[in-house]
Amino acid sequence: MNLNHIKLTIIIVFFTQSILSQKNIPSIYVKTIEGKSINSISTLNKNGLTIYSFWATWCVPCINELDAIHNEFDKWKEHNVKLVAVSTDDARTKRRVRPLIMGKKWNFEVLIDENQNFKRSLNINGIPYTIVTDGEKIIYRKIGYKPGEEKDLYEFVLKNSINKN
Amino acid sequence: MKKKKIFYLLILIFFNNSSLNSQILNNLRSSYESYSAYYIDDSKTGDFNYEDRFRSNNYLNLKSNIGASWNFELQIESYLPSSLLNYSPDFKNTGISTFNLEYINDKINLKLGNFYEQFGSGMILRSWEDKDLGINNSIRGLNFKYRINDKISLTSLFGQQKKGFKYSKGFIVGLDTEFDFSNETNENYTFIAGLSFVGRNDDQTSGTTYHNTTNLYSARIDFSSLSFYSNIEIINKSKDPVMQFGDFYDDFVEEGAAFFFNSGFIKNGIGVDFTFRRLENMALFSERNAFGNSYNQSIVNYLPALTKQHDYSLANIYVYQSQPNVSFVDPNLIKTGETGMQLDIYYFLKEKSFFGGQYGMNLALNASIWNNLDGNFDFVNKNYTTNFFGKGEKYFSEISLEIRKKWSSKLDNTIFYLNQFYNKKYIEEKFGKINSNIFVIETTYKLNKNKSLKLELQHLSTKDDNKNWSAFGLEYNLSSAISLYVSDLYNYQNPKQDKKIHYYNVGGSYSKGINRYTVNYGRQRGGLVCTGGICRYVPESTGLSFSITTSFF
Repeated sequence: MNLNHIKLTIIIVFFTQSILSQKNIPSIYVKTIEGKSINSISTLNKNGLTIYSFWATWCVPCINELDAIHNEFDKWKEHNVKLVAVSTDDARTKRRVRPLIMGKKWNFEVLIDENQNFKRSLNINGIPYTIVTDGEKIIYRKIGYKPGEEKDLYEFVLKNSINKN
Repeated sequence: MKKKKIFYLLILIFFNNSSLNSQILNNLRSSYESYSAYYIDDSKTGDFNYEDRFRSNNYLNLKSNIGASWNFELQIESYLPSSLLNYSPDFKNTGISTFNLEYINDKINLKLGNFYEQFGSGMILRSWEDKDLGINNSIRGLNFKYRINDKISLTSLFGQQKKGFKYSKGFIVGLDTEFDFSNETNENYTFIAGLSFVGRNDDQTSGTTYHNTTNLYSARIDFSSLSFYSNIEIINKSKDPVMQFGDFYDDFVEEGAAFFFNSGFIKNGIGVDFTFRRLENMALFSERNAFGNSYNQSIVNYLPALTKQHDYSLANIYVYQSQPNVSFVDPNLIKTGETGMQLDIYYFLKEKSFFGGQYGMNLALNASIWNNLDGNFDFVNKNYTTNFFGKGEKYFSEISLEIRKKWSSKLDNTIFYLNQFYNKKYIEEKFGKINSNIFVIETTYKLNKNKSLKLELQHLSTKDDNKNWSAFGLEYNLSSAISLYVSDLYNYQNPKQDKKIHYYNVGGSYSKGINRYTVNYGRQRGGLVCTGGICRYVPESTGLSFSITTSFF
């Protein structure tokens, strides 16, 4: 067994462990849009998929993504999927969250992660950032959004909700 | 060589051990960010006159847990050979920037080590991290939260604030309580109230007319129904010496105060939000001597500018910064704080209506105005009185309208108009006032499922300061992973011939899953870089920069 072997083993151990270890949604207190503290676990769709979309009122690609999903969301909902739009707006811009979502007629559940505790606990280092969970288990992570990528997300949702049924 | 083998074997054993260690490793989560630049000399923006042309900021964050109750976090940062231009010199070499242990159960949350916290809207206390601005003012100490029941929760903390890899000498103590008075049987209404206290002790500065400790008290209420919401916050700050020309004087010690009111009306398709805020002598630093430092270090409370955070580059040339401080520069330039308001209206024009068309149309209107406080100022005796109502010299105002329209499944347009007034004399303590108009048109065209083109054209017109600017940006997304762009800002009417500079940039990004790599070559416009209402000055520079954002496991 030479050094390269050992290195390789370590990489494989790391790799398999990262696959085997279930990474779950952490239990963190976040705020509802009305300002009530709730536990992140209670926002999960217990029997299906949950999409957490981290966004902010000043983030144009984030809004483009949520607009694009919103336009087709009736179709998505048929697959027992819930979308939680987690606003990372801080005190400067968070007052704009409610008028914006009403002005856009988004009907997603919206959470306020004002000091980015939820975002930090998930090691998210930029927005837009999308996480999909099956129950509590995280099955998908993606940073960024380009026009058209909502279709890829829809295909992922479709595939994984079919696998469930 | 043998030693290394043993080392690797030990690691292997450690990893595959089913003990506590392996639980920690199993649950390990990481993130890694790296931002690097190589600066070059440029005949237009000038030679690079600093040490180290190559500079790099690196952040590795590791988190893990044992069961559901114990969490650990470690963040290692490395600035090698030195930090990017205009980050604090306290960021140097490699070190541990965050380390904490946390215990959680249903009722209790106890954190030992570095933590981030915010009371209310942060006007009294906020510790947070913003890598773009080089802010990480986490507090190292103890943070204890206790949820007495669903209605009452309590947060307490004490510690010292991080400053680069060091810690400020002042101590911070804080207490926050939140009461939820909402009626459980009627979910349409929520009513939440909060009380906070923050004390800052700094024995590095002393005087006969003030204490080492400065105390802040705050009360807030938050009401919300299905179509209406309103919240109010009031803050009082005890006597604190005012910094004048880098020093403190026994005869210039003042109290501070803040008042915040926000209210909104919402229904499907329309949202209106109004905010009023008044700040008087409100800045608080964990060390008094840190007052006004250009790296935003040792900030205890968060007093952002309440203006729209613009996305377009030309709209970010004359950016308002909040004016919470007392400043007696000369008899014609006296500031004691700011008072002003902001209004936002969002409106959706329905699908299949005359203006809405097939997909509808989004409108967003924003307006804000900020002034100095009204009062009597005595420059010679360093004395002033202010009026709660009324306003002084105007600092800033703007009004903007944004129209977003989807024409077809392939074509989108955004049109943006902005009118700004910027009082450079008062905001930057320089001279001049700027009236400007900015117009932007943005078009996105989808070529197929994952290919799209975005073109952005901008123009800023003003008769003041450096006169007119134009800008364009072209972005080509050639797959879901790869994106390329080219952009330029051009101050084509600058009165100084050698300042008519093209601030061009070309670059691209590759992102897949959680991995993102970017590369950029071009010129950075000198001036303010702002995120979240806080700004820092960056010098002009030219160079190649690249970034990595990833996660190992």
